Amino acid sequence: MSSTFNVVTSQEYKYGFVTDIEADSAAPGLSEDTIRFISAKKGEPDWLLEFRLKAYRHWLTMAEPDWAKVNYARPDFQAIVYYSAPKQKTPKYASMDEVDPELKRTFEKLGVPINEQAALAGVAVDVVFDSVSVTTTYKEKLATVGIIFCSFSEAVREHPELIKRYLGSVVPSSDNFYAALNSAVFTDGSFVFIPKGVTCPMDLSTYFRINNKDSGQFERTLIVAEEGASVSYLEGCTAPQFDTNQLHAAVVELVALDRASIKYSTVQNWYAGDKNGLGGIYNFVTKRGLCKGVASRISWTQVETGSAITWKYPSCILLGDESIGEFYSVALTNHKQQADTGTKMVHIGRNTKSTIISKGISAGDSSNSYRGLVKVQPKAEGARNFSQCDSMLIGQSCSASTFPYIEVQNRSARVEHEATTSKIGEEQLFYFQQRGIPAEEAISMIINGFCKDVFRELPMEFAVEATKLLSLKLEGSVG
Amino acid sequence: MTSMVVGSNLLVDLLSGPRPAEWASLREAAEGRLEGRDLPTTKDEAWKYTDLKALAAIPFGAAPRATVDISAYLLPEMVGTRQVFVNGHHAPHASCASAVPAGVRFLPLSTASEACHALGSVKNGLTPELFEDLNSARFEDGAVILVPKNLKVALPLHLLFLTRADAPVAVFPRVLVVLEPGAELELVEEHLGEGTYLSCPVVEVRIGEGAILRHERVQRESPEAFHIGTLKAEVGRHGQYHSRTLSFGARFSRQHPWVRLAEGAEGTLDGLALLDDQQVADTHSFMHHAEPNAVSHQLHKCIVDGKARAIFNGQVRVAPGAQGTDAKQQSRNLLLSETARVDTKPQLEIYADDVKCSHGAAVGQLDPEELFYLESRGLNADDARNLLTYGFAADVLQRVPVASVRRALRQLVMARTQAASLGVLA
Repeated sequence: MSSTFNVVTSQEYKYGFVTDIEADSAAPGLSEDTIRFISAKKGEPDWLLEFRLKAYRHWLTMAEPDWAKVNYARPDFQAIVYYSAPKQKTPKYASMDEVDPELKRTFEKLGVPINEQAALAGVAVDVVFDSVSVTTTYKEKLATVGIIFCSFSEAVREHPELIKRYLGSVVPSSDNFYAALNSAVFTDGSFVFIPKGVTCPMDLSTYFRINNKDSGQFERTLIVAEEGASVSYLEGCTAPQFDTNQLHAAVVELVALDRASIKYSTVQNWYAGDKNGLGGIYNFVTKRGLCKGVASRISWTQVETGSAITWKYPSCILLGDESIGEFYSVALTNHKQQADTGTKMVHIGRNTKSTIISKGISAGDSSNSYRGLVKVQPKAEGARNFSQCDSMLIGQSCSASTFPYIEVQNRSARVEHEATTSKIGEEQLFYFQQRGIPAEEAISMIINGFCKDVFRELPMEFAVEATKLLSLKLEGSVG
Repeated sequence: MTSMVVGSNLLVDLLSGPRPAEWASLREAAEGRLEGRDLPTTKDEAWKYTDLKALAAIPFGAAPRATVDISAYLLPEMVGTRQVFVNGHHAPHASCASAVPAGVRFLPLSTASEACHALGSVKNGLTPELFEDLNSARFEDGAVILVPKNLKVALPLHLLFLTRADAPVAVFPRVLVVLEPGAELELVEEHLGEGTYLSCPVVEVRIGEGAILRHERVQRESPEAFHIGTLKAEVGRHGQYHSRTLSFGARFSRQHPWVRLAEGAEGTLDGLALLDDQQVADTHSFMHHAEPNAVSHQLHKCIVDGKARAIFNGQVRVAPGAQGTDAKQQSRNLLLSETARVDTKPQLEIYADDVKCSHGAAVGQLDPEELFYLESRGLNADDARNLLTYGFAADVLQRVPVASVRRALRQLVMARTQAASLGVLA
């Protein structure tokens, strides 16, 4: 019966090209000097250098975590280039015309609406290329309603008081091994500030791209939504194809004040390595949102299809009374990919609610794990959680695991967790084929049905992309 | 740091006594693994939620032989099929095996021969837990049960482990159950006691092809006791193992059931824990679907009151090639007080694609709608609450096959849930 599901080569990685741009890089290796170099290169104030050094000194005392269900060669932290920037005459472009045409072509290939045509897409984009933010579109338009959307470096220069107040307030620099590393060496990223009562008029978006073979990418995203504000933020990622592993260790911090709402969507398609597991990105990311205010809401939606190794747990700290945390995830692994991903929902305030919907699809020789924590603290009267974790296995040599941790210290809490595992049945396929739908298309439809609860949380254009991406990734998985 | 020092003393103290004579190689291997080891701390993932500091602080000594009146503990169905152990030693005066059918061996380990009964042969490929090794190194006695091919034993067998000590003692009961192909047996294993003590039983079960074992495990240790038990069951092709662990006693209890299912086998690991005051009950179970087409069920329920804590960590593993697996696991928890706490972690690890696996966990309080329904029918709020709490537990109890055990447990649960006044059993 297994003969129907022979896993063969899937679609080759579409974004695997390298852009030949002169880069301004630091020498490989990590020391306090590297950090001083990065900080000086970016013209940072002393307090930020101190923040970095403190994080670095703490990092030195920490051990790389080994509890996740992933196996990989530990990165050599001295072989990584911690700063790599496309060489440019002036730090920022005055207009789109000044951008290196080679770079523009890269983003055109990626389909990022970086130029003025973005108006059609209606998406404001911040593009991060290796280590530095290249350009931000729509800044002026957003500024008229008081929204700040710029690269992290620019925010440090223009809005130091905001950065100082919120940087590390959700993910402290000592939080975990990779967050500490990021805090020490982060190079750029995005900053979003939505002032009181403002609903962001368009979706904001960042595109991350690793281009340099030896570089790691350590970006930092900080989103603050003041009282009553709301924003939807999209993040996409790609990298060229190399046969070495590259490290991506990002930190994302979200802060939502009273009645604010932040929706954070990711389509992660870092290079996953070839079918024998050679190369690919190590995606070790710390993402956490703080629902600080009353009735605030943070929603994470992720479609994880890339990376050789994924270690990622977008979380919500539900501090404000009546705050809401949501996590919607589709994680697909194929070939030798390994993903250990999930979420943490920490209920602290009264009447807080959280929802977790996780769909894992494993094919080939891959390993796909859901790991999640739902914690109800003693004072979280009336907390409510619902979790559903479904796995689908395609082929006989992949694996799917579920590790939900549930810790309840308040009796008024209601916590429910459900998980199921299934496969695409021969009968289901037969039914489709009987009605004239070929197997390949049938699989794609079944998978889309399986992921529907997550896809409908994605903004429109991402949902379309995600659907296409899943089909591409599984192409040829069924023979 | 101080606890570590005390902890190492505890292990050293427990191992300082003379090594019992038989099963030398098993004991040596266990001692070898224990050398240089310490009690686990909450930094160990498997002990994250359970702190052994209180255990480490108590100086446990060897348990003396004692004579006890067991008339209160006799079960009518099993008057002639019982083996009783007091303080870890066999109590011949209290035991009676006159009704055991011919061909069935039901003996104390101390009279069994090492050559015939290979203890420690049920291996799960994992390093034994520290407390299992402690048992292997120091067990004094226990029981051997052997049921020959195709024999269906009509009467249930009763194993009673009593511990009674004026000063803190440690006991290490050991049980080996072997069912040859086609055999059937019902076994009731009870742990009771008074005073402060540590009980570390290890039960090894081997079930042959098509054989069936129903295993009721009742833990009613004293409120000051520590109970840390290991169960290892290997189920042969199309064999069945159904166990139910009912935990009522002990200030601290931990169960390590491990079951391996061969092709077409069936396994059940049900559990009920009723906790109050400062009690802690921890279950770390492992259901291993090693071969195709096996079926497993697990329903684990905890009722937690006072400042008690319930922990459940249930792992289901479907090995590569174990196609056609059907595994179900449920962890249900009822919190009755402000200060009660539940930590539950149902886990699935699946390495085959043609499987049906599901698990669920729920933590909550009584459903207000159900309470309202009962109140609308004239029950007062307390009675409604007690009745629903009893009902939550009764779900597990009603499947206990031995009538007297079922009745005794129902009464126990009714007393604990104060549902007795409702005359549920009338």
